[in-house]
Amino acid sequence: MRKWFLIVATLTTLAAACGDDATPPADDGTPTESPAEGQTAATCAEEHAADFFQPDTLTVGTDVPAFQPWVAGTGERGPWEGVPDEGTGNPYSGEGYESAVAYAIAEQLGFSEDQVEWVAVPFNNAYAPGPKDFDFDINQVSVTPEREQGATFSDGYFDVSQALVANEGTPIADATSVADLQRYRLGVQIGTTSLDLVNEVIQPEQQPRVFDRSVDVIQALNNGQIDGYVVDAPTAYVNVLIGQAENGVVVGQFPEQGEHFGLVFELDNPLVECVNVAIAALEDDGTLQSLEDEWLADLTYPVLE
Amino acid sequence: MSSTPPGAPLPPEPLPTGDRRSRILWGGTHVEGRRAVLIALASTVVFFTVLIVVVVNSPGWDEFSAKFLDGEQFLESLPGIRRAFLVNIQLFLIAETIVLVLALIVAVLRSLPGPVFFPIRILTAAYTDLFRGIPTVLVIYTLGLGAPALQIQGIPKSPFFWAVVSLVLVYTAYVAEVYRAGIESVHESQVAAARSLGLSRWQSTRYVVLPQAIRRIVPPLLNDFLGLQKDTALVALIGVIEAFRQAQIDSSATFNYTPFLACALYFVLITIPLARLIDWLVARDRRRRQAGAAA
Repeated sequence: MRKWFLIVATLTTLAAACGDDATPPADDGTPTESPAEGQTAATCAEEHAADFFQPDTLTVGTDVPAFQPWVAGTGERGPWEGVPDEGTGNPYSGEGYESAVAYAIAEQLGFSEDQVEWVAVPFNNAYAPGPKDFDFDINQVSVTPEREQGATFSDGYFDVSQALVANEGTPIADATSVADLQRYRLGVQIGTTSLDLVNEVIQPEQQPRVFDRSVDVIQALNNGQIDGYVVDAPTAYVNVLIGQAENGVVVGQFPEQGEHFGLVFELDNPLVECVNVAIAALEDDGTLQSLEDEWLADLTYPVLE
Repeated sequence: MSSTPPGAPLPPEPLPTGDRRSRILWGGTHVEGRRAVLIALASTVVFFTVLIVVVVNSPGWDEFSAKFLDGEQFLESLPGIRRAFLVNIQLFLIAETIVLVLALIVAVLRSLPGPVFFPIRILTAAYTDLFRGIPTVLVIYTLGLGAPALQIQGIPKSPFFWAVVSLVLVYTAYVAEVYRAGIESVHESQVAAARSLGLSRWQSTRYVVLPQAIRRIVPPLLNDFLGLQKDTALVALIGVIEAFRQAQIDSSATFNYTPFLACALYFVLITIPLARLIDWLVARDRRRRQAGAAA
């Protein structure tokens, strides 16, 4: 199986190598502020061919299960069982915002779709010290200065705001300001920027409940063990949409705080330069915006200030 | 010798002075004794020097020490973790008190003789088997998030409450077995003697069997409490901010693992005195028994 995959990968690499010649002019048409003059993501990737985790393959990490709208689509390839009804997806489908962005970046770097291999990486492991078994990880990781000490991040591929989910009909669901939220018991997932927001912006009177997994936070809300939870707005949207939060409503979103999602690289991985060129190109030609419109529409809520 | 596991220190039994091996190992003469001390000292120094040199010169040492041994992070995380550790202390003090009583009841029930009590023996045996078999972390997870999901009126939803219930369920099973071992270690003739003096079955259990049994099981019982104290860290899973969860929060905020070292420190500070107490109790018990035998 593995051998077979390698053969296919090698063949497609050859095919992609032939196709490479055709892509650079298109990129040159929209010059970006690339680190080296006139460098495209593809030529950069070619120069750094030896730095990829596997030869002629772009290895991308994300969590299992992977959730919509970040990862959508069906299929059983890899450990992902994309079940649309349960809100999960399979990154190999190329559907969902992050999956689509990863494939768009792969294309910019000169990889074909078949050369993209996905590996399972739990959210909190993305920044574990030591070597990584992926080129980059795409898993809604917000970039913070502290996190940049342990891992290298790409430029942002999505600007995030945080939102509050509560049970419909409970007093907290009528909150219109941050001050309204202070007397409630809130829940968050550990290792997320949502926790910073709770501690620094909301400053609740009761200690927040901090869970390992996002499903536990949602279960605690369903149980009534917490009054509400804070999560990034796109996730809040899906939790409510597919009924994970059984009685949930998105109460509102918090003012954007310059937070964005970045791709995670092993510390000082030189490939980040190439990927930044790719992201800049996708930003300039409107690809990121159109993918956002396609997968992340309807995500605006009243702002809690 | 045959029963001594490899690597375990030899018992300092007084071997005949003519035995060459004993003189080399235990210092048959004063001069040889001093030499043994010097050799022990030198080998210890060499061993730890080599260990430290190997670890410090490992290829990942710089990254490791920056990630796991950052002095500044350590000091920064101490106060928060200390505050959170109070939750662990509350948890194990409450749980240990309940376990102490509940486990004794389970053990006595399981030791009830006679065919009438068969269902009770079956039930208690099933309980101890089940809860010694299920990993504690699963019990905490399932009860902490599962029991409140039943939405039964009057059942508390507090994760702290369910954490205590889970720890009590698991550790009562262990400690009940320790009690039972103690009860069974008391020779049957003791019960027979007590009954022949006119004590009822309950009285002979209460005044003859249990006092002897409990004295024997204090060390293994405290040993189980060490386990319970460490397992309070598992409560983090259901959202309670205790020492381990606080360390995790600090760690994920800074991408640094040093807070875990600070967390470990607090656990060790609590467990080491208890471990020493166990050793002391064992030694005291041995002394008493030897004195009793001599009398």
